[in-house]
Amino acid sequence: MEEQDLIRRAQQGDATAFGELLDLYYDTIFRFAWKWCRHRENAEDIAQLACIKLASSLAQYRFQAAFSSWLYRLVISCAQDWQRSQRRHDHDELHESVPRDDESQTEDQIYLLQLLEELADLGEGMKETALLVHAEGMSHAEAGAVLGVSESTISWRVHTIRRHMGKREARVSESV
Amino acid sequence: MNQSSLEKQLQQQAPAPDPAARIAARRAAVEEFKRLHGAVAPQSTSRRGIFQGLSGLLRPSRHQQDGSDSMPWITRNMWLSGAASICVALVGGTIVWNTLKQHPELTELSQAGTTPRGAGSETGTAVQTAPVGSSSPEITRTEPEQGDALPANAASDVQSNEPAATAPRVDDARVRIEVQQRAAEDKAKQDEVAKESAENEQAAAALASQAADGTAQAKREAGAAADAITADDLGKLPDVSLSESLQRIPGVKASGPTPAAPLPNEQGQEVVVTGQRAGLKTAMEMRRSVSGYTGPEKNAIAANAPPAPPPPPQQVTGRDKFEHFELNSIKRPQLEAERFSTFSADVDTSSYSFVRKQLDQGVLPQKDSVRIEEMVNYFDYSWPTAESREQPFRPTVVVSDSPWGKGRKLIHIGIKGYELPAKARPDANLVMLLDVSGSMDEPDKLPLVKQSMKLLLGSLKPTDTVAIVVYAGAAGMVLPPTPVGDKEEIHDALDRLQAGGSTAGAEGIELAYQLAEKSFRKEAVNRVILCTDGDFNVGIDSTNELKGYVERKREKGIFLSVLGFGQGNYRDELAQALAQNGNGVAAYIDTVNEARKVLVQEAVASLFTIAKDVKLQVEFNPATVAEYRLVGYETRALKQEDFKNDKVDAGDIGAGHTVTAIYEITPVGVDARMIEPGRYADEARVATKSKGNEYGFLRIRYKLPDASVSKEMQTPITIDSGKVPESIERDVQFSTAVAGFAQLLRGGQFTVSLSYEDVIKQGLAARGEDPYGYRNEFVQLVRKAQAAK
Repeated sequence: MEEQDLIRRAQQGDATAFGELLDLYYDTIFRFAWKWCRHRENAEDIAQLACIKLASSLAQYRFQAAFSSWLYRLVISCAQDWQRSQRRHDHDELHESVPRDDESQTEDQIYLLQLLEELADLGEGMKETALLVHAEGMSHAEAGAVLGVSESTISWRVHTIRRHMGKREARVSESV
Repeated sequence: MNQSSLEKQLQQQAPAPDPAARIAARRAAVEEFKRLHGAVAPQSTSRRGIFQGLSGLLRPSRHQQDGSDSMPWITRNMWLSGAASICVALVGGTIVWNTLKQHPELTELSQAGTTPRGAGSETGTAVQTAPVGSSSPEITRTEPEQGDALPANAASDVQSNEPAATAPRVDDARVRIEVQQRAAEDKAKQDEVAKESAENEQAAAALASQAADGTAQAKREAGAAADAITADDLGKLPDVSLSESLQRIPGVKASGPTPAAPLPNEQGQEVVVTGQRAGLKTAMEMRRSVSGYTGPEKNAIAANAPPAPPPPPQQVTGRDKFEHFELNSIKRPQLEAERFSTFSADVDTSSYSFVRKQLDQGVLPQKDSVRIEEMVNYFDYSWPTAESREQPFRPTVVVSDSPWGKGRKLIHIGIKGYELPAKARPDANLVMLLDVSGSMDEPDKLPLVKQSMKLLLGSLKPTDTVAIVVYAGAAGMVLPPTPVGDKEEIHDALDRLQAGGSTAGAEGIELAYQLAEKSFRKEAVNRVILCTDGDFNVGIDSTNELKGYVERKREKGIFLSVLGFGQGNYRDELAQALAQNGNGVAAYIDTVNEARKVLVQEAVASLFTIAKDVKLQVEFNPATVAEYRLVGYETRALKQEDFKNDKVDAGDIGAGHTVTAIYEITPVGVDARMIEPGRYADEARVATKSKGNEYGFLRIRYKLPDASVSKEMQTPITIDSGKVPESIERDVQFSTAVAGFAQLLRGGQFTVSLSYEDVIKQGLAARGEDPYGYRNEFVQLVRKAQAAK
C-alpha cells in the first residue's frame, strides 16, 4: 500500500516521503483543526503545529490503528496544546478571545462556537467526542480508538451530549 | 436543537486550506523532520529520492562541478535544499534545451530580447508579473552560473523560497497544480505569498508535465512567447474586454462571449476567452493560450511596442450582449408560405436609448443593438385611441409612399392603448430589485438607479406599496413592503444603498418574487422591477432557466419589468428575455431624462397592462402586392400557427402605449421589385382573384389583462386608405424617418439611396410641436451618426 510505504520511508528518514505524506494529509489536518476552533487562522496554526509534531512522532506510529485515526489523535492533542497556550497568553483578555471567523460570522457560527465551549466544559473529551462522532461521522469504536478510550466510554459520552442538548433545548424554549 | 441538527451543523464543511499556510506548515515540518533525521542518510532508504536520482543523472552530463561539496561551511540541510533547487533548475533547463533544439526560432527570440518578463521559476526571483511561461530560454544561460554560485545565495534562497524544495517530482508538482488552481479561485484569500508561489509552482508543474508528455504543443506553450497582454495592459489599450485586447496581437483571433470582428490577418490561431471576468485562473489560462502563438510577426505589445492604432470607432462590440438577428427579408405573397406575416407587439424602447448612448460617445452602435421597432416605438404617436377598457385599442392603418424606393408603398399599423383615467388606476404592489454589485458603482448606474426610483415614487399613489430588495454577493431585503405614503422611509432606504460585491442575480430575483408573493394583492398590479447593469454572474444564470422561472411567476400574477443601466457589460438579450417572459417592459435608462420618460410619463403604461399577448397578423393579397417586407420586429416574429394559439406568449400593451409597425410593399405592376419574377412563374393565375382593392387583411389578437382567452380584431388594408389623415400625417412621416435611420444604422440594406441627410430633412419636417424635445433630439442623433460614420 502506497500510504504505508510512504510512512515507512518517512520513518526511515526520507524527507521526500515525509513531504508527500504531508501533502496527502494536510487537508485532513486543516479541516479537522478548523472544525475544532472554527477559525481559519487558528486552524492554520494548529495544522502547522500538528505537521511539525508529526515530524517527531511519526516514528511512534506502529501501524496498529488506521493512520488517519492516529493522525486525528495527534491533531487533537496539538489543538489542546494550542488552546492551553492561547489561554496562557491571553489570560487577561480571555473574554475577548472568543475566536471569530472572519469569513462567515453568522449567527449559526456564534451559536456553534458557544456550543463547542459548553461541550468542552462538560468534561474532558466531550468536545472531541462530539467532533469525531458527529462531525467526522466516526463509529463509537473508531472514535474510541482515536481518543484511546473504550467504545463504551464513547457511547456514554455521546449519551451525555445528547442529554445536554435536550436540556439546552428545553432551556431555550422556556426562555422564549 | 436536536441531535440531527447538531450533526448537520458540526458537519458543516470546513473551508479549503490556504495554500500559503499549507506551504508554510509543510516547510516548517519538513525542516523539523530534516533536523531530526539529519544523521540518517537518505540513501539508506529502499528507494532513492527522485530528485537525488535526477540530479545524479543530469549533473555529469551538463555540469561537471557542483562546487558545493568543497564548501565546508555549508550545512548538510542547506546542501539538501540547495540540491533540490539545482535539480529543478536542471530539469527545467533540459526541457528548455530540448524545446530549443526543436524550435530554433525561440532562441532567436530570446536573443532578440523580446521576452523581458520571463524569469526562472527556481532562481528565487519574484515572478509576480511574469506574464508568460516562466521557462524563459535565459535559464539555459544563467543556470550553470547559479550552480556555481550556490554557496553564495542558496542559503537565503532556501530560506525564503520554499518551492525550490517542494517541486522536485513530476507527480508531486501535478498534485500541487490542482491545489494552486483551487487557490486561484479563492480570490479573496490571495495574498502575495500565495501568488508568488503559485507562479513558481505553476511553472515547475508546467515543465514537469511537459517532460511527461513531451508533445510539441506543450513545448510551444512553455516556450517563450513574443506576444503577451496582461491585465495591467488592458487599461492602456482602448479596449474594453480582454478578447479585444487579444485581437491586437497580429494573427490572433479571439472569440469570447462577445462576437468580435475578424481581423484581416487570420493566419494565427484562435484564442478562446473562457470568461469575461478574468480572474486569476482565467488569466493563467489566457497566458498559456496566448503564449502558444508563435506566428511570424513578433510584436511585444505589452512591453515595448507602441499600441496598435485604435480600431475605427464603428461597431464597438464592448461587452454588451445583444442577440444577433438578420433583418426581415423580402417576402412574396404569391408563395403560400409567405402570404402571412405574423409577429408580436413590442413596446420596448431600450434599443433607442442604447443607440443614443453610443452615438453620444461618437461611436456607431453595434448593429445588433439596433432594433428598428424599438427605435420607432420610442416616440409617442397620436394614433386614435380606443374608448373603453373592454376594447383596449384599435388599429390605425395608413398607406403612404415609401421614401426608400420609388414606386413602393409603406403601410403603417398604429396602435395606441387605452389610457386609464387616474381614478381607475388600480393600486400597485411593487418590489424593486436593485443590483448593487461592484459593477454598479459608476455614475450612470447606481446613482441613476436611485434617482430613477425616486422619480418613480413621485408618480405613484400613496396607497401603492414599494419594497426594495438588493442583490450583490448575497441578496437581501432593504425595505419591507411600505406604502408610498411613507416617502421618507423609502428615500432613506434608497440613500443607504451602496455598491459592492459580486452579483447573485438569480438569488435576488427569487427573493424579490418571494416578497411580492407575500404582499400579493389580488386587485392590485403586482410587479417586480429589476434594475441592473445586466451582469448576472452567480446562481442560475442560464437564460432559459431564469426565463422559465419568470414565466411561472407570471402565471401567478406577478409581472416583471427590467430597467437596464450602464454600459460596457449590459446584457440586453437577458433583459429582453426576462421582460418578455415576465409580461413587462425592458427599458434602457442612460440619463435622468430617460428615467423621467420611462418612469414618470410612461409610468402608468409600464405598470398597468391593458392587453396581454398582443399578436398581429397581416395576410397579403397576392393580386395586389408583389413583395412585402416587415420593417423591424425581427426578434418578435411568430409562426403563422402561433397566432391563434393562446398558449404562445407575446408582447403586452400598457395603458397609453403606442405600437407602430411598418411594412414596405411593392404593389403589383410597379417596376420596383427586388425579386425578379421567375421565367416560369405563372403570375396571371393569382392576379385574377377578387378583392383587388385590398393590399391585405390585418388581424390582431389580444387578451384582456385577466383573461386567458384571446379576442380578435380585424380590418382590411385597402388601397385607397392611402389618403393620410392630417391629424396623423406628421406621425407617419416621423416614424418613417426613424425607421429609415434605424435601417441605415443596420447597414441600409433595403433603403437604396436613403442618406442620413434625407433622414434629417424628414425628421425636421415632421418634428411638430415636440413638447419634451424628443424628436429634436432624434435629429441631433442622426447628425451624430453622420459624424461618426
